[in-house]
Amino acid sequence: MIRFDNVGLRYGTGPEILRDVTFHVLPGSFHFLTGPSGAGKTSLLRLIFMSLRPSRGLNFVFGHNVAELGPGARAELRRRIGIVFQDFRLLDHLTTWENVALPLRVMGKKESDYAEDVTDLLRWVGLGERINAYPEILSGGEKQRAAIARAVIGRPELLLADEPTGNVDPVIGNRLLRLFVELNRLGTSVIIATHDYGLMEQLDAPRLVIQDGQLRIS
Amino acid sequence: MTPATLLTDIRDYPWTGLLAELLPAKLAARLPAQFQATNAPIVPSESIAGRALIVVIAIMSFLACLTAGAVYMINQSANAWVNDITSEITVELDPVNTADIDKKMTLVALFLAKQKGVTKVKPQTAEESAELLEPWLGHSEALSALPIPRLIAVEIDRSNPPDMKVIKDALTQNFEGVTLDDHGRWQAEIRTLTRSAALGGLAILGLVAAATIAVIVSATRSAMASNREIIEVLHFVGASERFISHEFERHFLGLGVRAGLVGAVAAALVFLLMPVVSPLLGGGIVTAAETRRLVGSGELDLAGYFVCLLVVVVVAFLCMITSRLGVIRVLKNYD
Repeated sequence: MIRFDNVGLRYGTGPEILRDVTFHVLPGSFHFLTGPSGAGKTSLLRLIFMSLRPSRGLNFVFGHNVAELGPGARAELRRRIGIVFQDFRLLDHLTTWENVALPLRVMGKKESDYAEDVTDLLRWVGLGERINAYPEILSGGEKQRAAIARAVIGRPELLLADEPTGNVDPVIGNRLLRLFVELNRLGTSVIIATHDYGLMEQLDAPRLVIQDGQLRIS
Repeated sequence: MTPATLLTDIRDYPWTGLLAELLPAKLAARLPAQFQATNAPIVPSESIAGRALIVVIAIMSFLACLTAGAVYMINQSANAWVNDITSEITVELDPVNTADIDKKMTLVALFLAKQKGVTKVKPQTAEESAELLEPWLGHSEALSALPIPRLIAVEIDRSNPPDMKVIKDALTQNFEGVTLDDHGRWQAEIRTLTRSAALGGLAILGLVAAATIAVIVSATRSAMASNREIIEVLHFVGASERFISHEFERHFLGLGVRAGLVGAVAAALVFLLMPVVSPLLGGGIVTAAETRRLVGSGELDLAGYFVCLLVVVVVAFLCMITSRLGVIRVLKNYD
């Protein structure tokens, strides 16, 4: 599903922050991505999401060599990936419901076809009472859950989550992990970037560890 | 962009939602269901940058429409001048050594009326000829004692003009002291003057157009900068460049049309009210008459209002294209 061969990344003329990164992500797999702050976890997620280009090496997403794809083809592939950001990235002028429905709207689906799914998912992540609320009045944890709901609403084949439990209490954190595991059982590959060892210990999943710009699997 | 992608873009464009974007929110809410947006707009309809942009576009459209309308009006007046003088010639009779000048006037007028291509012959009385000299000599009884040349104004059919050389030769042969002035020199001078006026107007219009383009592009880019986060989020949820471009193009096209129309309507009101207001502000009837002679009635005809509408179209198109380029610029950082 995802294959990186000797991928390196540098910003501008700065030093390489990722060096010789080589790994595979198989369909239906579950990975944690960990490492110290600033190690390059978010950069690696962005490389997988194709919103960054590697400075060297080859990266394949869903079997396609990203370097050979045009913008349209990359956008098509991105629709098969759900992504959760550390800073949520919710649109302030849209309600929680509209934010979560955004990926389906972008796909060109009719509102009547997905309205119920969006409402059910929002209830499941504990935002049933906040459906019509705007992001500016949501707490950090609520924004986090809305961002996760937005990432998973389109049943992506691959879910990338950057510190998804960073702003929620342990109970909600466990609930979100259950959501990720449930999605994984349904066939979605999951990569969660996290510092939370408590979260990682709840699940027996391989860990991609970035240290000093290099990636090892443990 | 290839012709094929352009055609696909046009075919896939969300045309039904465009009307709702063009109208203010209150009017858009009254549209039939098929023209209503089913979802909240992805690009927020109201923002501080958006409101500032509307004001800037409205002002620049107003100035551009005023300039375009004024240049059009001057050009029309100049054309009317040239048309007027090319449809008239003047025959001059020297009264010196002529026993009965009035008889000679009648004979020459009859001769001219018989010529092919002449539509009207109007002999000027001695008083009328003297009046022409009044601006220089003043009103004086002494004028009647002067041998003032007598004039015959001849209107010609411009679609079937007479042969001037034949008439000129015939007049010289048959009448002594009679000359024909076909206004050729005067026409050449007027043409040069009107062409200079038209070119000057076009140069001013060019400058205003350049300033309008620069201001609108700059203001649209500023408004787009405040929408950068929306572009990024749409990109991260998998929206294609075309989808994002369409959302912004539709929004900015609507904004450009609304603001451009405000400016154009304000300019149209100025043109409509000008004939009424200018005598009140200016130096009375004489000044108004002189101004009318110079720049016409001060009213735009239908084609003139069409020029103003064209300004709105160009302004809206500029907003749309600039927003598209803004989207492409932001997405370049991610692709």
